[in-house]
Amino acid sequence: MAVKKDLSLKYLGVDCLNPFFLSSSPVGGNYDMVAKCYETGWGGCFFKTVGIFVADECSPRFDQTNKEGLPWVGFKNMEQISDKPTELNFEYMYRLIRDYPEHITVASIMGSSVDEWKKLAKMADEAGAKIIEGNFSCPQMTSHDMGSDVGTNNELVESYSRAVAETVPHIPFVAKMTPNCKNMEEHARAALKGGAAAVSAINTIKSITNIDFENNTGMPVVDGKSSISGYSGAAVKPIALRFCTQVQQDEEIQRMAKEGKWNFGHGHEMSGIGGIETWRDVAEFLAIGCRNIQVTTAIMQYGYRIVEDMASGLMHFMDEKGYDHLDEFIGCALPNLIPAEDLNRDYKVLPAFDEKKCIGCGRCYISCYDAAHQAIDWNEKKRRPELNDNCVGCHLCLNVCPVQGCITPGEIKWKVRDENGVAVREANDATHIKFKKDARKEKKLALKAQYE
Amino acid sequence: MSKVVKAKYTAEAVPGFTHRTALEEAARCLLCHDAPCSKGCPAGTDPAKFIRSIRFRNVKGAAETIRENNVLGGSCARVCPYDNLCEEACSRCGIDRPIEIGKLQRYAIEQEKLFKMKTLKAPSKKQAEKVACVGAGPASLACAAELAKAGYKVTIFEREEKAGGMLTYGIVPSRLPQSVVDHDIAQVKGLGVKFVFNTEAKAEDLEAFDAVFVGTGLWDANLPKLKGAELKGVYSAVDYLKQARTKKKDFDPGKRVIVVGGGDVAIDCAVTAKLLGAEDVRILYRRTIEEAPANINEFHYALSLGIGITTGLYPVAAIGTKTKMNKVEAVGFYDKKAKAEFSCDALVFATGQKPEDQSAYGVDVNEKGFVKVKKGGKAGGKFFAAGDIVNGGKTVVEAVAEGKEAAASIIAYLEKKGVK
Ligand SMILES: Cc1cc2nc3c(=O)[nH]c(=O)nc-3n(C[C@H](O)[C@H](O)[C@H](O)COP(=O)(O)OP(=O)(O)OC[C@H]3O[C@@H](n4cnc5c(N)ncnc54)[C@H](O)[C@@H]3O)c2cc1C
Ligand SMILES: Cc1cc2nc3c(=O)[nH]c(=O)nc-3n(C[C@H](O)[C@H](O)[C@H](O)COP(=O)(O)O)c2cc1C
Ligand code: SF4
Ligand code: SF4
Ligand code: SF4
Repeated sequence: MAVKKDLSLKYLGVDCLNPFFLSSSPVGGNYDMVAKCYETGWGGCFFKTVGIFVADECSPRFDQTNKEGLPWVGFKNMEQISDKPTELNFEYMYRLIRDYPEHITVASIMGSSVDEWKKLAKMADEAGAKIIEGNFSCPQMTSHDMGSDVGTNNELVESYSRAVAETVPHIPFVAKMTPNCKNMEEHARAALKGGAAAVSAINTIKSITNIDFENNTGMPVVDGKSSISGYSGAAVKPIALRFCTQVQQDEEIQRMAKEGKWNFGHGHEMSGIGGIETWRDVAEFLAIGCRNIQVTTAIMQYGYRIVEDMASGLMHFMDEKGYDHLDEFIGCALPNLIPAEDLNRDYKVLPAFDEKKCIGCGRCYISCYDAAHQAIDWNEKKRRPELNDNCVGCHLCLNVCPVQGCITPGEIKWKVRDENGVAVREANDATHIKFKKDARKEKKLALKAQYE
Repeated sequence: MSKVVKAKYTAEAVPGFTHRTALEEAARCLLCHDAPCSKGCPAGTDPAKFIRSIRFRNVKGAAETIRENNVLGGSCARVCPYDNLCEEACSRCGIDRPIEIGKLQRYAIEQEKLFKMKTLKAPSKKQAEKVACVGAGPASLACAAELAKAGYKVTIFEREEKAGGMLTYGIVPSRLPQSVVDHDIAQVKGLGVKFVFNTEAKAEDLEAFDAVFVGTGLWDANLPKLKGAELKGVYSAVDYLKQARTKKKDFDPGKRVIVVGGGDVAIDCAVTAKLLGAEDVRILYRRTIEEAPANINEFHYALSLGIGITTGLYPVAAIGTKTKMNKVEAVGFYDKKAKAEFSCDALVFATGQKPEDQSAYGVDVNEKGFVKVKKGGKAGGKFFAAGDIVNGGKTVVEAVAEGKEAAASIIAYLEKKGVK
């Protein structure tokens, strides 16, 4: 029997079949597409952003970065918001909400004035939307009154959030944030202040992926020219996780969420976006406190079917960990993501080399010499690395070794400090031994999981 | 019914890499320190360096490395026995399977051709001394290229009408297309090396040269004792392959062909027969497959074309009329009682080659007729030799390696002479 787990959860008070949603983009641009994605297993869809403004797109409009023959490491697009008539989009949403009442069709909107935001919010309400998302974050709009230019202006974020919140007070409003900012928390606070229920992040990162040397411009090339525009896909996941974590850890945001009218006992209800492809990516966003996740680039590359392994993989993960519900681990990593100054700097973990597994490629030696601490001597005859006393325990070698499980975290060495706290040597004395033993076991387990 | 592979005699059987698949393969490379693959190449082609170039998107740099180190890089990419050389040494074997080094080499050289690169250049300032090379096979070509790169004037004497030796007249084109050989040879010509074709070099032709390199290879057949050896339809491998290459459409490969032997040459003969339209082709090898010198992959390939492999028997008599043989009698090698009779109109002996008379050149030979040399191919006085004629018949890459070494000896010899 296949492992089955309940993946349902409440997001902003709305019952969701699962946390897997399409993010607003061409992957959810009309009735048939979204219907198909629901049939495939997605719990909801942030419909392609609708404005009063109807986009006039360029062609071509995509590019990708790759590494070592692996395509789509990152993905760049020059699209704006929907290029379909406003009414037609709301009609699609109306029919989806009518025909798929268990699935959550979210209206994503973008106006260029308070009036437009109000008008769009009203239309979304008429279509039956249970959640509205405000796009404050598209980095390639042809007007500065929209997109990420708005998202980095706290006054506008607050007033447009208020425009929506006051127009449709019964619908939770999610403000979608841009990563093209210095400090996302500040913009998220502005959104909550204006009445937004929560924020979602990240939208794409302003980028130039490649230079085309025939036209001496960026890629893609449109009539000999190109523009800076949004970067997404696997490459941006680390940046997305960082922004989501910072928003979730912001005490002011958590306080505002608890005191606001959209408090369902979970604190701020973040929706995480950026580079999600697998169940593991999903679990990571949940671990930093997201209650909803959104995907575009991976669907553009692989199609809706990726949700099947997201669901099944997540269920197996929960089974392994003994969780019955997503709520049991949402936010579990947040307390352990701490400022650099609070890290324990009292010990180092030496690498342990498995001579039998080692295939003698010498990569550890090269990297340790050229980029670390010359702590590996190369035995030319045996073609094997030999660790010397220079090792600082940085684990660069472990990260470059191509053989799984060949270099692993090994012996722990404790620092001995002088009265000023400066590390003077490594400990050998018995006082540390008991602590050393226990800590070693725990750390080893933790590190093992980290690297496998 | 078994589905057999249909291939063409002149079309390369194995598809190469595209840009993407080459990058994918190069990404598998571990970029080893002091790389074992590079140590595994006799000719010093330095695979670790050119794979790294491909990996960092410097395909032209990769082609350059190959060409500079091995002037026959395109041909070697097709015919090298990598699984005993660079690929056997590859560290990645410890994880799963080696990097496909030969195929990456082929890719880089294909790009070289596409980009019309001209990597090798002879210096404009020439040395005074002239060197002759006898034979235009891999050993001579490699030697001549090294000498030309050092500014020497080189003339190659070749008795056939084309250069390449076994590359042009032996190995099947489905494994090594003529265009690849020609592209390699064009690099040597581009260095200003002079070719004199249809000329068997005589002693007096060589008098005017300051040094002479002998790379004549092995072109005499090693035929076993056989009743009816004089019948029409009985061939030596080299003869059979050469006729197939040169007579083209006029060559009749035979309908029922038996190839005797268990090495790569036997397989090339069988493949040639099959691809040229023979109905039934069988390899007859006296020992077991395990003992056969040919690579098992080559046997697989022969089998995939529908070629039969019969072991444990060797032929003792060809039977037929003066103008046509029609059957062959064979007996057991281990199983002394075994006897068999096969109908057959072409019987090809791929049982080894031996040297021809080398007495026109100032070289000593051993009891088997191979040229005796000291380290670096020194054969005494102004004479040098390398390749099959010295090593008794090995591989292209070893001929290249030895040819390169001999060139270094020749340069040292001429420099020393110049000082005096
Ligand atoms: C059928 C076959 C398949 C093979 N397959 C492979 C393979 O897959 N991989 C591999 O690495 N090796 C293979 N080999 C072996 C390889 O071809 C040889 O080791 C290599 O060609 C030797 O090079 P060479 O320069 O010493 O001699 P050759 O290639 O034999 O070249 C000698 C040249 O000298 C010329 N010549 C001879 N005498 C004179 C003279 N007196 N005057 C002028 N010219 C003369 C000949 O015409 C010839 O052109 C194969 C050989 C054969 C026969
Ligand atoms: C391990 C590591 C340590 C770094 N330390 C510094 C630093 O001390 N000062 C600095 O200006 N940049 C530092 N950088 C950033 C690099 O200089 C560089 O700007 C960055 O890695 C992006 O370039 P790259 O990824 O192409 O190497 C560091 C990067 C790495 C990976
Ligand atoms: S842990 Fe760092 S310093 Fe120690 S051997 Fe590895 S790379 Fe070198
Ligand atoms: S990187 Fe790993 S496999 Fe390679 S030499 Fe070092 S320990 Fe061995
Ligand atoms: S030995 Fe193999 S893995 Fe190492 S550099 Fe050579 S080809 Fe790459």
